[in-house]
Amino acid sequence: MFKEFAKGLSITFKHLLPGHSTTVQYPTVKLKPSDRFRGLHRLVPSQDREKCVACYLCPTVCPAKCITVESAENEKGEKYPKVYTIDMLRCIFCGYCVEACPVEAIEMTGAYELANYEREDFQFTKERLLK
Amino acid sequence: MVNLTIDGKQVTVSKAATIYEAAKEAGVHIPVLCYAKKLLPYGACRVCLVEVEQMKGRLIPSCTTPVSEGMVVITTSDEIKKVRKTVMEFLLVNHVLDCPVCDKGGECDLQDLTYELGATSNRFEGEKFDLPTDEVNPLIERNMNRCVLCGKCVRVCDEIVGYGSYSFINRGFETKIATAYDRGLDCEFCGQCLSMCPVGALLPRPFKFKARPWQLKEVDSVCGYCGNGCTVTLGVKDHKVETIRFNDKIGVNDGNLCVRGRFGYSYVNHEDRLTKPLVRKNGELVEADWDEALQAVADGLSKAQQGQGVGILSGARLTNEELYLLKQVAKVVGTENLDHSGGECYKGVTEGLKGALGVAASTATFPQIEKTNVILAIRSDFYETHPVVGMVVNQAIRRNGAKLAIVADKKGKLDKLPGAKTLLSKPGLELDVLNAMARLLLDEGLAQTEGIEGLEDLKTALADFEPSQVAERTGVDLETLQATARQLAGAENSAILMAYGLPYQGLNKELATAAANLALLVGIPGREGSGLYLCGEKSNSQGAIDLGILPQNAGKGAQQMLDAAAEGKLDGLYVVAEDPLSSYPDRDKVAKAFDKVPFLVVQDLFLSPTAEQADVVLPAASFAEKDGTFTNAERRIQRVRPGIPSPGEARTDGAIFSALANKLGSTVTFTGPAAIFAEIGKDTKAYAEFNFNEIGPQGVVWGGEVLQPVCKKVVAVSGGSSVKGDFQLVTGSALYHSGTVSTKAKGPMAVLSEPYLELSREDAKALSVVDGDLVKVAGNGTELKLKVKVGNRLPKGVVFAPYHFAEANVNRLYKGEPVIAVTVSK
Ligand code: SF4
Ligand code: SF4
Ligand code: SF4
Ligand code: SF4
Ligand code: SF4
Ligand code: FES
Repeated sequence: MFKEFAKGLSITFKHLLPGHSTTVQYPTVKLKPSDRFRGLHRLVPSQDREKCVACYLCPTVCPAKCITVESAENEKGEKYPKVYTIDMLRCIFCGYCVEACPVEAIEMTGAYELANYEREDFQFTKERLLK
Repeated sequence: MVNLTIDGKQVTVSKAATIYEAAKEAGVHIPVLCYAKKLLPYGACRVCLVEVEQMKGRLIPSCTTPVSEGMVVITTSDEIKKVRKTVMEFLLVNHVLDCPVCDKGGECDLQDLTYELGATSNRFEGEKFDLPTDEVNPLIERNMNRCVLCGKCVRVCDEIVGYGSYSFINRGFETKIATAYDRGLDCEFCGQCLSMCPVGALLPRPFKFKARPWQLKEVDSVCGYCGNGCTVTLGVKDHKVETIRFNDKIGVNDGNLCVRGRFGYSYVNHEDRLTKPLVRKNGELVEADWDEALQAVADGLSKAQQGQGVGILSGARLTNEELYLLKQVAKVVGTENLDHSGGECYKGVTEGLKGALGVAASTATFPQIEKTNVILAIRSDFYETHPVVGMVVNQAIRRNGAKLAIVADKKGKLDKLPGAKTLLSKPGLELDVLNAMARLLLDEGLAQTEGIEGLEDLKTALADFEPSQVAERTGVDLETLQATARQLAGAENSAILMAYGLPYQGLNKELATAAANLALLVGIPGREGSGLYLCGEKSNSQGAIDLGILPQNAGKGAQQMLDAAAEGKLDGLYVVAEDPLSSYPDRDKVAKAFDKVPFLVVQDLFLSPTAEQADVVLPAASFAEKDGTFTNAERRIQRVRPGIPSPGEARTDGAIFSALANKLGSTVTFTGPAAIFAEIGKDTKAYAEFNFNEIGPQGVVWGGEVLQPVCKKVVAVSGGSSVKGDFQLVTGSALYHSGTVSTKAKGPMAVLSEPYLELSREDAKALSVVDGDLVKVAGNGTELKLKVKVGNRLPKGVVFAPYHFAEANVNRLYKGEPVIAVTVSK
């Protein structure tokens, strides 16, 4: 029995030794999230515009109803989102929008630092999402 | 009846049914793509294949195969599924993957079927179509890359609209739908084709990229334009009417609409809509609040009533409930001077029909026209004023072989229908042609004379209408005249159609009487399946008559009010939903009346030329903002429902009348349109049997499908007279417009934006003018400048100008006469 105790505690003590800690010194040190992490959205650009064609699938599927799209016609006669805004205060980061998009125009990045001082700053407009 | 088995279910259906229809009745679902309820069976797509035990060895298209006794049908089996899936794969070989940007996405039959039949991959590969889109016309976008060649557009435009824009061209993979010479589309723009297209190949341009179908709230209402009373389903997003949705489930129009109903909705969203009451201060109209404006109206009207009196002029686009309230306002003000629509145009119904038949309405309903054998239209403009009834006429001809004759001074769309004959008379003499027909019926002993009063008088009066003499006098072909009269007499069922409205005031009563005489002599009134149709121009013209928006007792009619005002003998005028300066005959008189009258109130959607003259302007609501009922030209009472809120502070006419009545001291209030409707029944007995909340999807028809005449009395009418002059001007409606409000709607304006003078090719050549040239038209002491439009419709010497455009001043020439002598010069 004593043997088992010693074995268990040795693992615990091993973690106390330098180099074995899992805590990082945020914000001076930042971890890179996994590729599948669902953080801030990004609208994917194409050559001269956003890839999004304003099909309204993401606002339709969004369970938090936080995406606002307004479609319009550009000079070339193409459909494009005149307005594309995500209200990050309401977004639940489920990733359904990414899944619904037929043209892979929206993706989720690793950005998780989304704190802000003003409510308006949580409105991520097309211009911000394209960055 | 035929008995058959579908998927083990016993079904009994009529022997005219197809397997698909039988299955539908039995509640068995069969997928379809090219089938449409209102079109003839076609069988283009092969999605609806089924197995029939008696026809083993191949699959049978269910939408074209008629049922037969003892048939055993199987609608789903592994083989059927496989074949249907293959059909989908074929359809998708060349189909572009446009769904994300295609406005049909979400209600596309091809999308739905792909999903339903599980066509997730394609074994075939082919080049995607890459054809240019047709965006030449302003209203319908044609993207043939998305077309599945179901042929619905081709069929509807031919079978129902009778225009025939499209046909298939080329062969094999190259097959496509094209217009004549593959040019851009240029047609009536009724949009029937786009409402039928199962995919996104035909789409409404004004709605392009505006919304996804699932985002739209659908509100079933009634078109606010003409007396046809078509059901329009408003597609509303963010409190804005974005489009008109296809709906063939309810109403009388089978999902068919005309260009005004389908594309003319945008005036309700117009930025020029009045949003605040205006009161004239120091000569300027300035914004005021409702209380102030209503007080000003109440004070002004009371004062005027104490003086030389008040007159009330209404339009015929208010709901029945609002018209009732307007009558209450008239009572509270204490005036008997009440009238609508210029006062003259509806007299054909109220005096002509009433005199002959004792009723003031059409005697049958529109669907019955389809089953008639002979149709007589009076004035060719019937199609222009009531296009969707015109489509029913087309179906009667194409499906049931009906014969159509038109008595008119010019040709029109109706003349182009198969076998149609126009009895082209000199303007003003149509009356003589009708009289001659009556005379022929009597002379040849073809007339039904039993139980008809006044025959002797009529015979005497018809002495001058010997058909051959009339033919000579009017220019009508004698044989056609005789043949038409004989056909009418011999027909099992027949219909006589005539439209009335502001531009058709001359000889209204006389023409209606002559039509009623003819109807009586061939036994139309009261006979099941036959009808005499007198159709009002506006959406609630019939309601205005039913509710008695007419001079009360000794009160003045519209023209007398205007006369009195022009002579300084009327102290107040309250004009509701009308723009007399733009649309009433004799603009100079109207202008003088408004100039002289000390107190003028105008209640309208826009600051119309009339409203600009007013002392107080009250902003009113459009049909899309109202709750109530309209009564269409076949006596059908239908529900109008609000889809959007009014802009700014605008209020419904009903709300304004209530508030005004209260300001004037009335204590009566109503809880809503249902309560008012119940009240209407007390005055208008025909409405008493209905309950507002029980008006179903097909509406209710007062007087029944066939209205029995109260009396049958032929009334003698004298003939018309033609005018002498270089040219004879007639005015009327253009297909793309209705009244003046459509000139504020983008759709109709995109197709027809300007006033014009239409003349025949011969005359154009003689004057050496071409389309677009300006000509001077002089007559009745005025001269106008109008753009020329050369057409095939008019005989030599006759010119036509539509009345919708205020800026054209056509109503300075037109003073209510049937025809005007004018000179036309470069
Ligand atoms: S689903 Fe994609 S294409 Fe459609 S609106 Fe959203 S981001 Fe744009
Ligand atoms: S027609 Fe239908 S299937 Fe074709 S692109 Fe449009 S929505 Fe997609
Ligand atoms: S809009 Fe009407 S007339 Fe024009 S092509 Fe379509 S169905 Fe025919
Ligand atoms: S345009 Fe539309 S309605 Fe016409 S054939 Fe093609 S898919 Fe059918
Ligand atoms: S204007 Fe008349 S015919 Fe055209 S859609 Fe409206 S009610 Fe129907
Ligand atoms: S629906 Fe039967 S063949 Fe198209």
